[in-house]
Amino acid sequence: MADFLHNLLHFVPVTGPIEWLYIIASLLAVVVLIVILQSLPQQARRPMILVVTFLGGLFYALEFLLPTHHMVVGKTPMSGNFLTPGILVFGQLSPIIAGFGIGLGVFNLVQIHGKRVIKASTGAFFSYTFFASMLAMCTVNILQQAHPNAINKNLNTLLFDGGLQSLDATMFSIIAFYIVSAAYRAFRVRSLEATLLLGTAILVMLGQIPIGTFLTHALPHALRIEVIRNWILTVPNAAAIRAIAFGLGVGALAVALRIWLGLERGSYFDTQ
Amino acid sequence: MNLLRLLQTIDRRYLYALLILTVVLPFFMHIQLPVAIEPATEDLYDAVEALPRNSFVLLAVDWSAGTRGENGQEQMAIMRHLMRRHLRFGMIDFADPQGKQLGEEMALQLEKQFGYKEGVNWVNFGYQIDMADYLKSFVLNVPAQVKTDIHSTPIADLPVMRGIHTMKDIPLLIDITPSGSYQTFIQFVQGPYHNTVKMGVALTAIMAPEAFNYLDSHQLAGIVPGLTGAAEYEARYAQEYDPSLVKGSKVTQYSNSSSFAHLLIIALVIMGNVAMVLERRQNRPGRRGAH
Repeated sequence: MADFLHNLLHFVPVTGPIEWLYIIASLLAVVVLIVILQSLPQQARRPMILVVTFLGGLFYALEFLLPTHHMVVGKTPMSGNFLTPGILVFGQLSPIIAGFGIGLGVFNLVQIHGKRVIKASTGAFFSYTFFASMLAMCTVNILQQAHPNAINKNLNTLLFDGGLQSLDATMFSIIAFYIVSAAYRAFRVRSLEATLLLGTAILVMLGQIPIGTFLTHALPHALRIEVIRNWILTVPNAAAIRAIAFGLGVGALAVALRIWLGLERGSYFDTQ
Repeated sequence: MNLLRLLQTIDRRYLYALLILTVVLPFFMHIQLPVAIEPATEDLYDAVEALPRNSFVLLAVDWSAGTRGENGQEQMAIMRHLMRRHLRFGMIDFADPQGKQLGEEMALQLEKQFGYKEGVNWVNFGYQIDMADYLKSFVLNVPAQVKTDIHSTPIADLPVMRGIHTMKDIPLLIDITPSGSYQTFIQFVQGPYHNTVKMGVALTAIMAPEAFNYLDSHQLAGIVPGLTGAAEYEARYAQEYDPSLVKGSKVTQYSNSSSFAHLLIIALVIMGNVAMVLERRQNRPGRRGAH
């Protein structure tokens, strides 16, 4: 019992039949936790969320801020403090928790499309398509993982490489047509700023392509289109992007602090 | 409708047809234009060149089939260089599950040319989620965080991972991405380990302008910007190792199509503006012929 508790509290990996005991115990613990959380009164939910959020952020903040020293975790030497071994544990836990998000997303989609199919509402055909493609892709992938024979591998290649990847590339390629049409209609010199923007865009676009390089290769170095383009990207453009990045960074820090300290209003924090 | 008005309002279907022609025709023409190698691309090339033989490089394959035209060519060019320099590399994917598959296919395609073998010279760590938390742990203990490769083989058993324990053992990280994922790498990998880890990015052309900031601050060692960058990287590689590579290569073909498409957009924009200016002059009050 002492070993069991030690392994549980220190996240020590186990193998063999005892692994099933840990899996069953974890599942039971999760069920009990969900029942407790669901039975909490509405007034207790907000403080619970605030405390968990604050402790989660506090862990990472303290681990970063506290002084570090040379240490060995397992057999790996590293620089850290007493909280650093916890980073390794949470690094493995957080993808599992994030994986729940994928499950939640699938559940949500099934709920929405399922309602459409049951009510036979407008667009139900697309919901049928969604279910058919999801089932086909899941089945083929699971079969390929469980029994990687030639048939399953070819089916997976057909659906994933031939279907999904080709469709993904096609959807992205459509953007090119919209860009041509939009650039032709929208890039009009109605003001001085628009003229400057258009001129700069043309210089950068010409500098981007080998034909542009070829057209100016006989000119002095400073007048070549690729040199001008490089100057535009590394001087005025970099200055503007840096200013925007500073603003975004400060804004992100402010929002992060508000969320960490529970000052943010939103679906998580307000009453439903 | 007069000609000037017509030139400003060409039906978009004609524009789409013109675009298809400009993209497809270069595939039937043999055009070899000179490629000017930009300093940013040259810097990343030099960073790879400077690595001692058998060093380990972390290659983040954060792209999907949608950006295969740019990121795919960048990956081929960089991977070819890594293999030529006898460098070990590990691929990891945070953005889209397609990336791990696409990276694996490219590595399998190239490995025959250079006598590389999966597990011995390169490894695929697969698709991972929750990038920030994962990286915080990855940098402290690589084998403990990754555990197995894409084929469920424990990575601690693989010869390619010999001597790789923490991020300090990985001197170069290259992120191939169409998004801003490189900023998370800068935050959690390059920043804390800036003394031992260099970082480069291979981006789509539309994202490249944002990354020049980080080049300026020396947080990035180099940038390969879009299809043009891939062509530059390939040209630089060809200069040193294989001059026949650029002749009729895919990057050259795609680059030609891209060039013609760019010229089409520039021509249409200029034509529309010239027509607009001339029409305005024509319609000025008091001018003969004004409506």
